[in-house]
Amino acid sequence: MSLIRVDNMVKHFPVRGGVLNRIVGKVHAVNGVSFRIDEGEVLGVVGESGCGKSTLGKLIIRLIESTSGEVHYDGTEITHLGHNDMLPFRRRMQIVFQDPYSSLNPRLTVNALLKEAIVFHSIVPPSEVESHIDKLMAKVGLRPDQKNRFPHEFSGGQRQRIGIARALALNPDFIVADEPVSALDVSIQAQVLNLMMDLKDELGLTLLFISHDLKVIEHFCDRVLVMYLGYVVEEMNCLDIHGEARHPYTQALLGANPVNDPDEDRELTVLEGDVPSPFSPPKGCPFVTRCPLVESRCHEEMPPLVEKTKGHRVACWAVE
Amino acid sequence: MILKALRSRGARKFRQNRLAMFALGVISVYGVVALLVALGGIRLEETFERVSRNSIPGAWGSQTSEKRVNDAEEYLEEIESALDNEEHLEYRFAERKLVDLPVEELVERVEESWEIWDELADVSNVDEHPELLVKLDEVEERIDALFAPLEGVDGWMYAFRTYLGTDRQGRSITVRAVYSIKLAIQVGFIVALAATLLGTLLGAAAGFFGGWIDGLVIWLYSTFSAIPVLIMLMVLVTIFIDTPYEGTLVPLYVSMMLTFWIGPCRVIRGEVLKLKELEYVQAATSIGFGRFYILVKHLIPNTSHLMFINFSLLFIGAIKNEVILTFLNLGVKNQPSWGTMINQSRQEVINGFFWQIGAATALMFGLVWAFNIVSDALQDSFDPKHVS
Amino acid sequence: MTTPTPILRVENLTTSFRTDDGVVTAVDDVSFNVWPGESLAIVGESGCGKTVTSKSVMRLLPEYTSMIAPESKILFGGVDLAHADERTMRSIRGAKIAMIFQEPMTSLNPVFTVGWQLDEALRYHTSLSRKGRRERAIEMLRLVEIPNPEQRVDEYPHQLSGGMRQRVMIAIALCCEPDILVADEPTTALDVTIQAQILHLMEDLKKKLNTAVMLITHDLGVVAQVCDRVIVMYAGRVIEKGTVREIFHSPQHPYTKALLDSIPKAGRREHGKRLPTIEGIVPSLDDLPEGCRFEARCPLAEKRCADEEPDIVPHAFTERPVRCHFPLNQT
Repeated sequence: MSLIRVDNMVKHFPVRGGVLNRIVGKVHAVNGVSFRIDEGEVLGVVGESGCGKSTLGKLIIRLIESTSGEVHYDGTEITHLGHNDMLPFRRRMQIVFQDPYSSLNPRLTVNALLKEAIVFHSIVPPSEVESHIDKLMAKVGLRPDQKNRFPHEFSGGQRQRIGIARALALNPDFIVADEPVSALDVSIQAQVLNLMMDLKDELGLTLLFISHDLKVIEHFCDRVLVMYLGYVVEEMNCLDIHGEARHPYTQALLGANPVNDPDEDRELTVLEGDVPSPFSPPKGCPFVTRCPLVESRCHEEMPPLVEKTKGHRVACWAVE
Repeated sequence: MILKALRSRGARKFRQNRLAMFALGVISVYGVVALLVALGGIRLEETFERVSRNSIPGAWGSQTSEKRVNDAEEYLEEIESALDNEEHLEYRFAERKLVDLPVEELVERVEESWEIWDELADVSNVDEHPELLVKLDEVEERIDALFAPLEGVDGWMYAFRTYLGTDRQGRSITVRAVYSIKLAIQVGFIVALAATLLGTLLGAAAGFFGGWIDGLVIWLYSTFSAIPVLIMLMVLVTIFIDTPYEGTLVPLYVSMMLTFWIGPCRVIRGEVLKLKELEYVQAATSIGFGRFYILVKHLIPNTSHLMFINFSLLFIGAIKNEVILTFLNLGVKNQPSWGTMINQSRQEVINGFFWQIGAATALMFGLVWAFNIVSDALQDSFDPKHVS
Repeated sequence: MTTPTPILRVENLTTSFRTDDGVVTAVDDVSFNVWPGESLAIVGESGCGKTVTSKSVMRLLPEYTSMIAPESKILFGGVDLAHADERTMRSIRGAKIAMIFQEPMTSLNPVFTVGWQLDEALRYHTSLSRKGRRERAIEMLRLVEIPNPEQRVDEYPHQLSGGMRQRVMIAIALCCEPDILVADEPTTALDVTIQAQILHLMEDLKKKLNTAVMLITHDLGVVAQVCDRVIVMYAGRVIEKGTVREIFHSPQHPYTKALLDSIPKAGRREHGKRLPTIEGIVPSLDDLPEGCRFEARCPLAEKRCADEEPDIVPHAFTERPVRCHFPLNQT
């Protein structure tokens, strides 16, 4: 049974310009994305900057309102719920951000920021709030006696742990992790990834894990969505990605990732050109400007995301 | 929140700035004086009392021999007429009484003084005759001896009141200048506080809610800031003419509040626009908090450094503009202010008497300087671009 | 045939900063050589001093708050850059040693065309004519594989994408044919596919122009891909030096090994397993430990490590320099 079903999600940001500040166009951030996430699953979303992966994560938990499309959470359609009807779902869906510096209010102690959320949703009776916070701190690998400190007294990795504690404070069952380790040093990155892995197993969390780093996605996720310019171009089991990836963009991503071994073939797959602006995407397939397999049909029509083998969907005309 | 701010890195940086700490000390001295005045240390009536002859210089000053001869003459005349009509004595010399001697004795002493004085009166240039200068000193000593010596507290008070001399009505410049500190700080504090709060609320609401609120606030402050501040203030103050509030502090408060909110509003709107995109605000949204709660709890406290800085800038602005308006006869009336003092000293300066304008500007300079230093240091230490 | 000599010799470089909390030494006794035509990587996590090292070489540190110790030497072509005056530095920067930065968005001046900014460097360091400079500018843009260089030369930076701007930066850096190119995290702000393009380009150019590259990065993948030799830094100290193969296949310092291990590996075997990590955090530079700076996080630390800081000495077997009392691969 899938916990989350996203149907045909679309988000266009209006672009204003000119003297009168009229809407002169729109940025196609997310273009009709559909997928499911099963309970207890980690779904990775990978893509380059501007591909809409972050927007997608925020659309699901309604930090951004969608242009059209539906999100079904545990059987309920949530994109049209009012503020109060949304509250129980807000509790169940949380987010961990990329930047450990801007994601914590500098004027609140760790205790205050956790307490605020716990009290608001009455997660535990008032008498147990303090002990609940202590437990949370311990859970994310911080000492409970550090809870009265301000965010600036912690290092980047510790702040990211606080961010995770805030997300866990409401006992959610779904967490969007928006590039949670991208801003951290390699050695700290591993600590935080391990923590998230442990918490996922311990609490049975479902995760949407957004990253631009294919190595991290491969290591951590069960399934992966590869996004390009607002479209999902490939969806597959993470374990198969090296052998089975079919879409030319996924293959290029794999080939462009430097390998940590000087003896391996040192020739990187080099893709020509740049990502087109999402303000004026090309007609037809978004990858058409850089694709090595391009054919005439690609210029005309966006290929649909078709299931090639079980659980493996690809959007490409050239892939049979 | 204030305690937290005091422990922050910005505060530590501020404390390491020696000049700023000195300036803060200067401000505290002003504050204490203002408080003492407000608590009754100097009554309003005292600022109008006559303490000595007109336009006498203070302790550091000296007069031309010509003026000294003139002054001696006027003293002697006044004492003479006072002796004719005893009840006027207290009025003319509020601070000093004639010595307790029979009237005949006093009259005799005055006569003797007149005799010496007559020798001086005919000479056009006293300075060129050293022997006459000795005579002048003697006349002055004799006049002084006509008054009962002031001792203890009375002596101290007299010294204090005549320390910077007196104005053309013989009122103490020291008392008036010091009393004006209270007025300046009162105006500065109330105007800066009200304008900062007003600006913060409007700016934060505009930045956070956007849409028509933002449009309205931007329209308001662009319109207001298109008018030169002083002209705007003058127009707003003029509205109160012929109402019971004319000449009180109310027109000053209202006009400056309505003019000064623009600064903090603009800065805070920009800051809120920036802050509301930050991830901790999104995190608060994802928890389910309402928009108003997020604004009050997560955004406005994070603009407090800007509120501090704007407060100190507006404080100076309010003091300066109070003085300017009062100088232009649009501000306070019936109570001393640096503005009235500077206005009054226009005629005195022509006669080479700088004590009044000197005292008023020196005290104003001290306060404005200290606040400038402190607000600069606040900006340096609390601006997030410098703190990290 | 003469024995090759290094073009840049950094000896005992110590750079400190004056801060609110006193003097902090960001780079502590760092020595290394750069040989002609090689790619040297300086690797480490944030705060390890790699960027300060590169900026010390370029003398781009803030004038009043930073200080290079008097015994430090940065020898380049007979000149000691560590204590050279600003005039000398100006004739070297850009012409002999060029630098490219991490942020392609802010390192180009937005109000001048690409051609103007290339021309500026050429005007200052060469005696070419106006026409010659323009030809050279176009030639440089072609060299960094910018399509339509004749047209691009008159465009403004905002008309170019991030990858293109970094190419322009490289063109500006290389236009005077410098001996050394200092690249400070040149691909960190770029997407992977663009990063691949830039790395590819840098390798190509290195072969064509025989420029030595000093690459400052935290990304070990990039190092493995393009570099010949590696210097690993930790908390202001060099802890290990070696060729890229030696560092990746037989790291000698426990930190190097742990750093390599903590990167997620591709493939089925590792999927979903806990990653080996380095516990704790890098020590703060204003509160450094008495002994080895890695001691608190080191799995192999012994009493001696806490008491006494090891020197950087050749390893007993491999004779490759390492700063550790108990280096790996002893047997």
